[in-house]
This record gives sequence, C-alpha cells and structure tokens, in this order.
Amino acid sequence: MTSLIRHDLRLLLRQRIAVPTLVLVLILSAAAVWAGMAEVARQHDIIARIKPQQVEDVKAIRAWVSKDGDAGNAAYYTFHATWDAPSPLAFAALGQRDVAPFVLRVRALALESQIHEGENYNAEMALPGRFDWAFVLTYLAPLFLIVLLHDLKSGEREAGRLDFLRVSAVHERALWARRIGLRVGLIAGGLILPLLVGGLLSGAAAADLLLLSTMVLLYLLFWTVLCLLVSRRGMGSVANAATLAASWLTLTLILPALALLAVNGAFPVRQGVELTLAQREAVHSGWDKPKEQTMEAFFRQHPEWRGTKPVEGGFHWKWYFAFQHLGDLSVADQVRAYRHGLEARDLWTERLAFVLPAIGTQYLSHRIARTDLTAQLDYQDRIRAFHKRIRTFYYSYIFNDVPFGAEDFGRAPLWSGDADRR
Amino acid sequence: MTTVPTTAPRISLKDVALTRGTRPVLRGLSLTVNVGEIYALLGGNGAGKSTTVAALLGFLKPDAGQILVADIDPVENAERARREIAYLPENVALYDQLSAYENISYFMALSGTEPSREAMDAALDDAGLQPEARPLRIGGFSKGMRQKVAIAMAVLRDVPVLLLDEPTSGLDPRATADFNALVTRLKARGTAILMVTHDLLGAADCADRIGFLAAGQIVEEVVPSKGMDVLALHHRYGEVAAA
Repeated sequence: MTSLIRHDLRLLLRQRIAVPTLVLVLILSAAAVWAGMAEVARQHDIIARIKPQQVEDVKAIRAWVSKDGDAGNAAYYTFHATWDAPSPLAFAALGQRDVAPFVLRVRALALESQIHEGENYNAEMALPGRFDWAFVLTYLAPLFLIVLLHDLKSGEREAGRLDFLRVSAVHERALWARRIGLRVGLIAGGLILPLLVGGLLSGAAAADLLLLSTMVLLYLLFWTVLCLLVSRRGMGSVANAATLAASWLTLTLILPALALLAVNGAFPVRQGVELTLAQREAVHSGWDKPKEQTMEAFFRQHPEWRGTKPVEGGFHWKWYFAFQHLGDLSVADQVRAYRHGLEARDLWTERLAFVLPAIGTQYLSHRIARTDLTAQLDYQDRIRAFHKRIRTFYYSYIFNDVPFGAEDFGRAPLWSGDADRR
Repeated sequence: MTTVPTTAPRISLKDVALTRGTRPVLRGLSLTVNVGEIYALLGGNGAGKSTTVAALLGFLKPDAGQILVADIDPVENAERARREIAYLPENVALYDQLSAYENISYFMALSGTEPSREAMDAALDDAGLQPEARPLRIGGFSKGMRQKVAIAMAVLRDVPVLLLDEPTSGLDPRATADFNALVTRLKARGTAILMVTHDLLGAADCADRIGFLAAGQIVEEVVPSKGMDVLALHHRYGEVAAA
C-alpha cells in the first residue's frame, strides 16, 4: 500500500498541472494566513496604543477638572477605552472584524449613538470581504480540487490507458480511492499546514484548529463527491471541467448571493446610523422639555437617586445626564428590533449553511474564529455593561453633589478587556 | 502462477451473445483456449474481436452464454479474474512522465507484485528493449518501444492467461518476429494466449489454432500445420471477413 501511494504520488507530481496547482494552494493559503496575521497584529497594535493614550487623556482632563472638582465635567470629558481583542484564530477568518469597530472610546453620555456611529463604513468596500484563509478555503480551494479531479478517469480514457489500467489494477476501487485521496490530501495539506503554523504562532487552541481542519476535510469531501458525480456521466475532460466550473460559480457565488439577498429582504434591518440619528434627536429634544418631566422620567428608571438634591437653575449635570440616559431608553425598542433583525438574519444564514456548503464554511469559520455576528453583539453587550458601570460611578458624584478630585479618576471603572467575553 | 487443472481450458466462451447499444455484436460465440496454447482470433472490422476481449476482461456483460477465465467469471469476479490475466492492448498507452522501469514498477505494483530491477531487466531483455532506453521517460518512445515495455509487463505478470489485442500492429518485421518468439516462449511456460489479430502470417507462424470470427461467431477454425497453404488461408480469410 505504501509503495502504491509512493508510486501514485510520483505520478501525480510529474503531471504538468499538479505541482503548480499544489504550490499555488500552499502559497495562497500561506499568504492569506500571513495577511490575516498582519491584520490581527495591526488590531493588537491599535489596542495596545489605546491604553497609554487613555492614560494621557485622563491626565490632561484631570489637570483642569480637579481644579474645581466638577464631577459633571469629569463625566462629560473623560473617554473610557473599550476594545475587543481578536481571538487567536481571528487571523484565519476576519469575519465582521474588518467592518465592525473593535475599539470604542465611550463617555457617560447616551450610548447607542456612540456604539453605532462607528458603523458608517463603505458598504461597497465591505462587500468583497477580506482576503483571508477562509476566503481561500471557501472560494479558491474548490477550483484547485476541480483542476486535479476533473480528468481523473476521463484523462485516462482520453489517453487510451483506462482499460489497461483497470486490468492491471487488481483492486480497481483502491486505485481510484488512492488517487483521489492523494489529491484531496495534498490540497488539504496545503490549506491546513499554513493554518496550523499560524495557529501555533497565535496560540490558538488545539481543539479549534482541529475543528477548522475537520471543516476543511468535509468541505473538500463535498467537492470531491461532486467531481465524482460529474465524472460518472462519462463525458470528456473538457466537458467535466466546464460542468464543474459552472457548479462552482453556482454554489459559491450565485446561490449564496441570492440566498443572502432573500434573507436580507425577508428581515429588513434599519441601519445603525439611523439608530444614531433617532437617538440624537431624542437627546436633543431633552433640551426643550421641562426639567421636572425629564427628572421624573429618569427617577422612574433610577429611584435610588430620587431623594437627592433637586435640580435648580438653568443647567445642571444631573438633568443633562438624565436626558442623555433617557435618549438611550427612547430608542430601546429600535435597538432591540435592530438586534433581533440581525439575529434573525444570522439564524437563517445558519440554516442556509446546512444547504449551501460555501455559506456553511464561511459561517463556521467565523464562528470558530469568534469573528461572527455573535462575537460582535457580545462586544456591544460588554460595552453596554461597562457603560452602566461608568454611569453609576459618575452618578454617585453628580447626584450626591460630591466634588470629583484628582484621585477619583483612579477610581473610575476600567475595561476588563476580554474577561467578560461570552 | 495459479494452479488450474490442466484439463480445463483457461479461456472459455460458450454460446456468448452480447449486444452493444442496439447492435448484436456476439451471436453465440464459443471458443476455448487451453493451457500452453496460442489461439489466434481473426476477423474483419466489426466482427466482434474487440468486444470479445472486452468481455473477457469483464468490461462487458454478455446477454447470454458463459465466459470463464481461469475458471472465473470475469464480470462477477472482476478483481479475481484480473489477477489471472495479462493484457496487451493494440495501442499501448503508458505514462509518458515515467521511465520504462517506473512504468513497469507502477503497473506491477497495481497488480500486486514488486519485481526487482534484475527481474525487470530480464523481462525487458525478453521483450527486446535496449538497456539504454530503460531509465528514460517513455514520452519519447516509439510505438514499438512502448509495446516492448508492455510486453515486459506481461512477461513479469507470469499469469495463466494472456490477452493480446493486435499485438504486432505497428511493429517492424524484426520486432514482429521477436514478439512471436517471445509469445511462443510464454506458451511453453503454460500460458493460455488469446491473440486478436489481423496478421494472418504472424498467426499462422505461432498460433496453435486460428479461429475466424464473422458476425459475432466463429465460422471456421483451422489448425496451422507445416506446409499449410497460407495463401489459400489468406483467400479464405478474406472471404470470411467479407462474410
């Protein structure tokens, strides 16, 4: 058996098309891993730079806020950095990370506009997606497999060798299985090897790497079965190649695009920027409402501050932060609808993943790499929880009329990074 | 070599009928080839020679009748039957990117044997391929040289049944004579050889029996003998082919 594998391997590697194809798979896979790691390194670098900048920012604000000890000024002017560090496998499937914010500096003001104003990206730029390992696997790997498998049997027939080969092979099925296995195995190796190297360098979990590797094998298995089904029809190599190319176009581009278009049509979701505008309008209308009405609405949400000193005069931070918070509450239904819409789309994408392998591969890659919509929404949830801690922190100074000293800046909540990640 | 009772024919076709598409090709074909016998099957185009070979290799299932190769039904037990058969097609297509040695080594490995370099050299000597050509890729080989590589494989297989499809087509007279001598040596080893050919002279030279195939059945069978009137046979053959 080993000897036969060696023989078939030599035969394959001496084919004119095989070596360039396999080298190209390896180069593209390695380049995609390298590009993904470079992007992840860039994101890590940005996150690393945020921390000292945050310290500098706070130092500058502390210098003048602590002169009069106004907690409102501290709350208004101090930004608090949050970030969503890429997972160790993010390099393989960047997913939402190239379009969704992974760093956000928030203030104690109305939050939703702060979250969603970062979503103003060029949709056309986002459409083709990143050149990452998942892209190579989903879109390019089937083509390479087609190159090596389309003429597996028809090529032998066209060379006039098929009968001789079949008679010579005592185990004919083993012959084809070995040849298919070698081709699939070498392509899988070309895809998986750079992934493993990238995974080891990034400190990815062995279980996740195993999952991705299994996914590669399953995806290649699907395309292998398709190649075999087409070749069973007994057509020539050119006809096989044309049929398989058309199948590739249909299964990886046309059907997924149509399916996702249908999902997006079935679950219309208002853009994040619309949420931002709606919230800003609600917040700005706060200036025109009677203070008592605003404070009463706020105290209904936060009865713990009802007994504090009432708001008097023209402007007061209590009132200002109250209508900021009410601005968030005013768009709560829209935020919920926005989220439900996204989750419904995600659910249907997950269902499509069972039917369309290209969608399945992308979806699962992003899920394993934690770069999917769930990870994005999780980051937003963590920001909301952190924002609540910030508000509570400043409210205790503002509503209790406690001066905010230089040392109080050091007591402000700190982003716990990935500790709260789901 | 597998031991088969010497009384039983190694190749046996009995009342075989076979249709390809809608066209009946074999119509009650019966023939036998015994141990250590060369049977030449002659016939014109469309007579059913290639279909007979394909049926013996198990590629085509007969509509009626029985086919046995070394007592094995080649359709029902294709893998077992192929262990007993060496086959030399009319146009030998090997792997151009491999050398003669590598081709032999590969095809022999497929059939379950790993011949030594010495054994390959001995078989290639028998087949008449020059030693200097053996390590070269066969992409540049002539048809005759490729044929010799395939013949060496048949020699190395050392199986009880050898099927030859137009084996001397494209060979020069000297190579043809060498080939006939080799086939005669294989026959002496006990191999049952069925040779499908147009070459009546070659057949008359080495075959023990010659069957004339027309319209899917043997219409005449002759045993060549010394002093046989080959010219008359040639005329007869022409008549049979025409029929």
